[in-house]
Amino acid sequence: MISLGRKKSVLAAVAVTSFALVASAVPANAVDGVSATEIKLGITVPQTGPAATGYNKVAPAMKAYFDYINASGGVYGRKITLVIKDDGYKTQSAIDATNDLLLQDKVFALVGQLGTANHIAVASKVQLAKRGVPSLFLNTGFSEFADKSKYPTSFMHFPSYATEAKVLSTYIKDNFAGKKACLLAQADDFGDDAARGFATAGITFGETVRYVSGSQSSAAAAGWVQKFAGAKCEVVVTFSVTTATTVLLGAAAALKFAPQWILGSVGADPTTIRIASGNPQAAALLNNAISASWLPDAADTSDRFVKFFREVNAKYNNNVDFDANVMVGMNAGMLTVQALRAAGSNPTRQSLINAIETKGRTFVSAAFAPYGVSDSTHAGYTGFWIGKFNASGALSPVDTGRTIYVTDSAAGPVNKVAPKRAKLPAKGIPTNS
Amino acid sequence: MRELIGTLLIGITLGSIYSLMALALVLVWRSTRVINFAQAGQAILTTYIAYEIINRTGVFWLAILFAVVAGALLGAGIEYFLMRTLFRHADEGPVAAIAPVIATLGLLGIIRSVVGMIWGNEFRSIAPPVSTTGFVFNGQPLPFSMLNLVVIIGAAIVMIIFSFIFQKTDLGLSLRASAFQPEIARLAGIRVGPIRTIGWVFAGAAGAFAGVLVTPNDILSPNSLDVLLVFGFVAAVIGGLESLPGAVVGGLALGIGVALITNYISTVLVFPSVFIVLILSLILRPNGLIGSKRVRIA
Amino acid sequence: MHKLSTKKAFIAYALFGWALVLVADRVSELRVYQGATIAILTLAIASIILLTGYSGQVSLGHGAFLAIGAYGAAIAQSYWGSPFWFTFLIAILVSAAFGFILGFAAGRLSGPYIAGTTLALAVGLPTLANQFAFLGGETGLVYDAGSPPARFGEEFTLYKWFFWIAALVVLISIFLLRNLLNSRFGRNWKALRANPTAAALAGVNVASSKILAFTISAGVAGLAGALLGMISIVAPSAFPLSLSFTIITGAVLAGVTSLLGSMLGAVVLVVVPEIADAIAHRLGDSEKISTNLPGFIVSALLILTVLFSPNGPAEAMRKRREAHAKH
Repeated sequence: MISLGRKKSVLAAVAVTSFALVASAVPANAVDGVSATEIKLGITVPQTGPAATGYNKVAPAMKAYFDYINASGGVYGRKITLVIKDDGYKTQSAIDATNDLLLQDKVFALVGQLGTANHIAVASKVQLAKRGVPSLFLNTGFSEFADKSKYPTSFMHFPSYATEAKVLSTYIKDNFAGKKACLLAQADDFGDDAARGFATAGITFGETVRYVSGSQSSAAAAGWVQKFAGAKCEVVVTFSVTTATTVLLGAAAALKFAPQWILGSVGADPTTIRIASGNPQAAALLNNAISASWLPDAADTSDRFVKFFREVNAKYNNNVDFDANVMVGMNAGMLTVQALRAAGSNPTRQSLINAIETKGRTFVSAAFAPYGVSDSTHAGYTGFWIGKFNASGALSPVDTGRTIYVTDSAAGPVNKVAPKRAKLPAKGIPTNS
Repeated sequence: MRELIGTLLIGITLGSIYSLMALALVLVWRSTRVINFAQAGQAILTTYIAYEIINRTGVFWLAILFAVVAGALLGAGIEYFLMRTLFRHADEGPVAAIAPVIATLGLLGIIRSVVGMIWGNEFRSIAPPVSTTGFVFNGQPLPFSMLNLVVIIGAAIVMIIFSFIFQKTDLGLSLRASAFQPEIARLAGIRVGPIRTIGWVFAGAAGAFAGVLVTPNDILSPNSLDVLLVFGFVAAVIGGLESLPGAVVGGLALGIGVALITNYISTVLVFPSVFIVLILSLILRPNGLIGSKRVRIA
Repeated sequence: MHKLSTKKAFIAYALFGWALVLVADRVSELRVYQGATIAILTLAIASIILLTGYSGQVSLGHGAFLAIGAYGAAIAQSYWGSPFWFTFLIAILVSAAFGFILGFAAGRLSGPYIAGTTLALAVGLPTLANQFAFLGGETGLVYDAGSPPARFGEEFTLYKWFFWIAALVVLISIFLLRNLLNSRFGRNWKALRANPTAAALAGVNVASSKILAFTISAGVAGLAGALLGMISIVAPSAFPLSLSFTIITGAVLAGVTSLLGSMLGAVVLVVVPEIADAIAHRLGDSEKISTNLPGFIVSALLILTVLFSPNGPAEAMRKRREAHAKH
């Protein structure tokens, strides 16, 4: 009788080998992910887990836009398939999911990967640069991803956190000079990047509170408010996710602490705040709060982009609650389609990268500021407009001209320009090449 | 001074929340010697049920009642179908120590995914039934509101009711006996099976009560009670795991400790502070914060 | 059940290693990476088998030791310029040191208390990286295995390099562990797990035996952590609480007393989520269902395994064989 242990190890070896051999038969393809009828793209996002809420709307929204485009013929006759993988916001899962997308699903390119630490890990261990795999329109504002030498195949989408911090700094200096300003920032690169931007712009905070992601609760927020109130802050800036912003505002209301709020765009989505706070007066908490935004307000149905995206949402996305997350997803989808078109009728990964570098600035988008990409940098959008919330949670520009504050993530100056957007193509279907 | 008082009040608020979870964990432990990681899962499910009731009727107290009943039934179901099968098969060897842990972890995963499948991963919220504005003292609000007071009272009620049951009633004696020495209890005529189920019923009800009480003012999502599970477990350990008052004291100690450390040292140390408070309590009072018996010594 | 002599076992392990090299050449890159993951999980599971299966102590937060090992190795490489292979030794030593401390504490606390302590450690430790800048914050520390040596050729991918390193390290470690568990130490552990009083009467120093088990278990886990940092990233998000639970799960699936079962446990841990994912995609029309279904399937499988073969499928087979033999 063979010893049990040995039997088990043989069993395991057989299992491993057969599993591996069965799974390894894959046909070769000229260009991964591109066939005569299909372009396959892949995305890794937190669909489950603590970071899922809100962010799990981005990928389905993007897919909805692709479905809309497919319904009118796709890109040069190819339908776009988006493979969505859940990474639960965990790094190992992001790597595994990306491996699956590249090595098993054989996607042409990655789009919208979410999470700073996740993308860093994926870029380094999955060797995106060496494999030449494009990673388009990342769902993170960590400014280092714009560095072409470090991340040659990655492209940013929304403005970096450092950019936003510099923009807010200018607004603070213009309007709240002499008042004591304080900061609530998440304790990770999201907050670090912002802190760097504020430091570059020369803003010093009277009190800074860094909170660890996952620790936010109404009791914890009471502690934050206590610090801010104790330091007599007159202006409080937040670079926090929506749940943290929500509990912060709630705790401030409970403690009757009412500074001028300046809410970083990541955590200021009013729809989410309204639902998350359970408080019918939650929208009122936002009243008069300042926020920077790079897209139109999700409730602004007079904006033709918003109107169009809402229609796509109704028909192709099960008419979910339309908020900033849905808009970001669809905007990224629209950019992706234009990138694919610009890559030519026989796209390769390199032609896709070249297309974005050379033509990305001309892509149509709902954003009001110029897209920062060029052949020397892969930065995302470069500017924000400043808005003020009203009592029902709608954000409107503080000035009639909707001045756009444009800057980079480094030490460049902040310029104020007029908003300029390319026209939305007919029916929202890009025709560029 | 005001800052210290404020921090202590916040600590008590946090602590009362931890106490509620710790109470549920200790209830299961005392009646069945199992650490029930699924407690957070049961509580989140019953809290979603409460959410539905509130949405339909707008009556908070009715929702709590429904949740508690649901929690009790759920607890009974889990004990009857899962734990009994488990103990039949895994009652010997080293795995007996960790099998219940794994089983309840698996259950937690199942409940969480079911909740996600039914309600989705979006944020929801439960409107607070009472005011969340801080009580005013010397012209300024304190970080302590009627809702916080309700939570503390709730924890106290749970502790008093179940302490009474455990210490002063025959049922309580049967529960304790069945947990410690099931064979001897059986010989003494106690029907260990149904008694165990009752233990889980109590814990399920207490956990449901806790879940609904702590959710208003915070976010409701399938994962929103996860962090609370860890904090609650550590609070129970600090309190000695053997007594219900211990769970409350443990919870308060942990809450105050976390609040003090995050306020005076660094807000980034929230999770390490849990470990620090635990270690301090194990060093300073290895017999448990309440107990005088040497129950923690191996 | 007869055990192989050490020499024969060595040959068996060497042959197995050679087989792995051959297989790695023939399978797709994805499987090679998964192979590295399986190797690492095998080692982590083995550390639990030593701690819980043999010495009877429970740790709910073993992920903390993986984190300690990974950070130790990364710091050695990034700040002290330590050569790569040497960092493994650092990982083992640093983790073992922490394991010693915890083992010492475990001697003074009974079951649930050490469980709670290890859990709190697993939760509290990774976020320390956000407080101390030299730990790299959320982005983490760079920990590099370097590129595969040029003489292996162009086709030798980074993933294969990961697999070779991980497989080699794990094979050696499991071999050494096996010898340890078959030795006097292993017998002492089994004795004190079954009946501490009797073991003490028979001359086993229960306290120091348990501390030794914790120390070695932590060291092994630290090594697994360094390997994990190599294929992933040395940052807090790579060591969530779920990692600790995954490892214990693997140990239970393996049969918590069976060292050789640890590989089976690791394979199941990697394969099942993938199968669950495939099923979900085939069934999933609704967004809510398809995203939550994989988690559901994995958890359900876990419960079924614990309910019906808690000592591992091998144990169940053995019991059935013994029952047959009686007739």
